[in-house]
Amino acid sequence: MAFISSGYNPDKPMENRITDIGPRKYDEFYPEVIRNNKGKWKYHEILKPGVLVHVSETGDKVFTVRCGGARLMSVTHIREICDIADKHCGGHVRFTTRNNIEFMVDSQDKLDPLVKDLEGRKFDGGSFKFPIGGTGAGVTNIIHTQGWIHCHTPATDASGPVKATMDTLFEEFQDHRMPAHVRVSLACCLNMCGAVHCSDIAILGYHRKPPILDHEYLDKMCEIPLAVAACPTAAIKPAKVEFNGQTLNSVAVKNERCMFCGNCYTMCPSMPLADTEGDGIVLMVGGKVSNRISTPKFSKVVVAFIPNEAPRWEQTTSTIKRIIDTYSNDAKKYERIGEWAERIGWERFFDKCELDFSHHLIDDFRDPAYYTWRQTSQFKF
Amino acid sequence: MAKHETPLLDQLESGPWPSFVSDLKQEAESRAKNEKGIEYQIPQDVCEDILGVLELSYKHGRTHWKHGGIVGVFGYGGGVIGRYCDQPKMFPGVAHFHTMRVNQPAGKFYTTDYLKKICDLWEFRGSGVTNMHGSTGDIILLGTTTPQLEEIFHELTHNMDQDLGGSGSNLRTPADCIGAARCEYACYDTQALCYDLTQEYQDELHRPAFPYKFKFKFDGCPNCCVASIARSDMSFIGTWRDNIRIDQETVKAYIGGEIAPNAGAHSGRDWGAFDIQKEVNDLCPTGCMYMDGDKLVIDDKECTRCMHCINVMPQALRIGEDRGLSILVGAKAPILDGAQMGSLLVPFIKVEEPYDEIKEVIEAIWDWWMEEGKNRERLGELIKRQGFQKLLEATNIKAIPQHVQEPRHNPYIFWKEDEVEGGWDRDINKFRKDHLR
Amino acid sequence: MDRDEAKKAIVETLEKKAKTKSKFYLKDFYKMVPDEKPRAVKNIVNEMVGEGTLEYWSSGSTTMIGLAGTGKQAAAEDED
Repeated sequence: MAFISSGYNPDKPMENRITDIGPRKYDEFYPEVIRNNKGKWKYHEILKPGVLVHVSETGDKVFTVRCGGARLMSVTHIREICDIADKHCGGHVRFTTRNNIEFMVDSQDKLDPLVKDLEGRKFDGGSFKFPIGGTGAGVTNIIHTQGWIHCHTPATDASGPVKATMDTLFEEFQDHRMPAHVRVSLACCLNMCGAVHCSDIAILGYHRKPPILDHEYLDKMCEIPLAVAACPTAAIKPAKVEFNGQTLNSVAVKNERCMFCGNCYTMCPSMPLADTEGDGIVLMVGGKVSNRISTPKFSKVVVAFIPNEAPRWEQTTSTIKRIIDTYSNDAKKYERIGEWAERIGWERFFDKCELDFSHHLIDDFRDPAYYTWRQTSQFKF
Repeated sequence: MAKHETPLLDQLESGPWPSFVSDLKQEAESRAKNEKGIEYQIPQDVCEDILGVLELSYKHGRTHWKHGGIVGVFGYGGGVIGRYCDQPKMFPGVAHFHTMRVNQPAGKFYTTDYLKKICDLWEFRGSGVTNMHGSTGDIILLGTTTPQLEEIFHELTHNMDQDLGGSGSNLRTPADCIGAARCEYACYDTQALCYDLTQEYQDELHRPAFPYKFKFKFDGCPNCCVASIARSDMSFIGTWRDNIRIDQETVKAYIGGEIAPNAGAHSGRDWGAFDIQKEVNDLCPTGCMYMDGDKLVIDDKECTRCMHCINVMPQALRIGEDRGLSILVGAKAPILDGAQMGSLLVPFIKVEEPYDEIKEVIEAIWDWWMEEGKNRERLGELIKRQGFQKLLEATNIKAIPQHVQEPRHNPYIFWKEDEVEGGWDRDINKFRKDHLR
Repeated sequence: MDRDEAKKAIVETLEKKAKTKSKFYLKDFYKMVPDEKPRAVKNIVNEMVGEGTLEYWSSGSTTMIGLAGTGKQAAAEDED
C-alpha cells in the first residue's frame, strides 16, 4: 500500500492549514419539509411504535420512521442508510441522541414503502438492520460507551452487553406497553464517559481489584509524580522497592483507598487493573432527566456486582428483564421506574424485584451518603 | 475465510437487535474484496484484527487496549484519542488504532452526500468503523494510524469544510436536541444557539483552556431529551413565562376519547378510558389545574412548567409565547465527589442573536473557574467547594428564592464585615465602660 | 513581563523540573507567569504549542502540557 498524500506537508504543518472552522451549519442538511416548517410545528402523533407524524401550522406534515442502530457502525452500513435515504427521503437522514436513525418523508403515501423496505433488511447473521421502534412508553435504544472494542480502562464490554440486553428487551422496543419511557444506558467504567447516572436502568462496568504494579518497568515507562497525581483518592505514593537485588523507584498503592477508577493506568501503563474475576457489572435504577411530574433523579445502585458473562451476559440481562417486568406490572400509568420505586418504597422494590440487599448498597462515600439513610420511623415490613 | 476464529462473538450475531459483529464482518469482507480498487492507507485486514482482538477480550474478560496521550493534529489539544493494542504482533492491523472526533452538525441532520464523503474518506484512510455517534455527540471515527491523522484532518478541513470536536481540558463538542426543527415543544432554536456558541468558542474547543472538561448542552424544553440537566456544566433548557395556550374544543376531544392521550405513546396496553382528572390534573405537581364544568383551567402563575399536561394533550395544550431559556450549571457524572444535577442560576433569559447576554454569563463563569478551579475540578465541584454565593458574585447575579429548593438548614452565615452595621473594628475600652473585667 | 519574557520563563521552569516531571496542568503555568491573568497565560501556552516549543499530552479527559519531545510517554507509547 503506497502512501497517498492529502496535500498536507509534514515539514510545514502550518502551510495552508485551515483550523477553527467548526462543524457544518445545521441548516445545510435540513430536508425541505423541515426547512419550510421549522418553528411552526403544531403537534405530533405516534402512529404506531417507531412511526411519528408532526403536523405544521402550514398544513405540512413530516412522517418519521425511527430505527434502532448499533452505534458501532461500519461505512458499509452507513452507505446502506444513505441508499435508503436516497431512495425514499430525498437524500436526507438524521440520528437521535440515543443512537437511533430517523428516516423522514413528507407524505403518508411514501411511508409504507419506506417501512417495508426497512423491515426487510437483515444482516447475514439474521439480526434486523433497521428495527422500527423506540418511541413512546417503551424501551428505546441504549446509549453506551466503547468497552473492549476501543477503551483502555473498561470493566466490561459495551456493544456486547447492549446487543444482549436489547435482544432481551426487543419486544418492548417495538411496543408501547410500559407505564412510561424506559431509558437504559451503559458505561463501561465508573468514569462514565457516557453519563449513565440518571437512567431508568444503568448498566455500569466496575473493577474490584487495585492496579497490579509492574515494578521492573514502572520507572522506565512512567513519570512517578504523574502517576501519584493521577489518583483521585491520594492512594498512590512514591516508593523504593527491592527487585532482583536492585533498589528501584516505583510506587505503593494503599489498596483500601483505591476506588478502581483506572486513572493511574491512563497516566502509567505499568499499573494495569483489568481482571477477569475482579471485573463485572453494577446495576443502577430509577434515574431520570426529564422534569416531567417529578424533578430529575439520580440512579441508585441495586445490584452491587454481576460477573462478566461474555458473550451473552445472561445474569445481567435476566435481572434487567425482571426489574422491567415487575415495574411494568406494578406501576401506574405515567410513572417512571424511579417514581414507582419511591411510591412503593425501596424496601418493597427489593421484595418485588426479588433482589438481595447487602451492605454494599448503603452509601458510604463522602457527604451525600447521609441523605440516603432513613431518617424516619416510617418504613414497610 | 476469516483471519481469526471468533466463536464467542459469533454468538452475538443471532437475535433481533442489529448485530455489530455482523456489521464488522461485512466491513471486513468488503475490504478483503476491495471491489472499488481502493489504495487502503491502513492495513486492509484491520476489521479482521478488530474482531480478533475483541474475541480475545471476550475470552480473557479484559481489554487489550492501551492509552496514548501524545498523538493529535498539530496545534489542537483535542479531537484525537490515542490507542494502541497490547498484542500488536497478533493483531498488526490494529497496532495503532487512534480515534478521531468529528464535530457533528447541530440536530444531527445529514445529507447522504455528506455522509458518503465521510465514508469514502474513512474507508480510504481509516478502519471504516465509526460510532454514529459518541456519547458527547461527535461522529467518532474509530481506528487509524498516526501518519493518517494529519492527512484526515487536512481532507476534512480542505475538502469537507469540517472540523474536529473537543476532548481533554477543552470545551467539549456542544450538543442539542432536535428543537424547533421538528418539535412543537421547542422554546428556542437549539440548533442556532448550539452552532453560534460552537463557532464563537472554537479556540476553547480545540485548545486546552480550563482545569478540566466543560460541556454545553441545549434542551429545547424541560423534557430534556439530550439530558443537559444531568451531564453538562452549563445546561440551557427552554422555558416560557406566560400562559400555556389552551384549545378548549380539543381538550373536550381528548376527554371524549377522540384523540389518544400522550400522542399515542401508551397504545400498546389497555389503560382504560382517558380520565383527565386522574391522568392530568391530579398528577400536576403544583395542583394548578382543574375543571370548571367542561372547561380546563390552569392557574399559570403557579405552574412550574413540568410539561406533563402538554405531553399528555399535545393537540390541546401548547407552550407559552413569551419564551426563553433557563441556565443550570454544574452537572456532572459521579467521578469524583458524587454526581451532581445542574443547579438553577439564571431562571429566564431571552434567546436573541447575537446572544450577548448568554455569552456574558458563560465568560464570567469561565473567568471564575479558570482562576479558582483546582486541577481536574469540574465547575460543579468548585461551586460546592466555594459555595453558590461565590458563583452569584462571579456572575453578578442577585440571589432570589428560585435559586434554592429550600433555605439553608443551619444559621452559620459567614457575614462579611461590610454587611454588618458599624464594621468589625471595635474599641475594647469603650466596651469595658459598661462591662467590667 | 512581555510575551517573550513570559515564554522564556516558562521554558526555564520546565527545564528545571524536567528531571522529575515533564507534563503539567495548565494551572501550573499560571504560577510561572504570575503577573498575567489565567486567560492570557493560556493564550501564551497555546501559542507556544503552535510554535512547536510545547506539546500537549491528553488523558482523554484532561490535557497536560510539557516541552516538546520530553518525558517517558513517547517511548512508552511507541511514538518516538
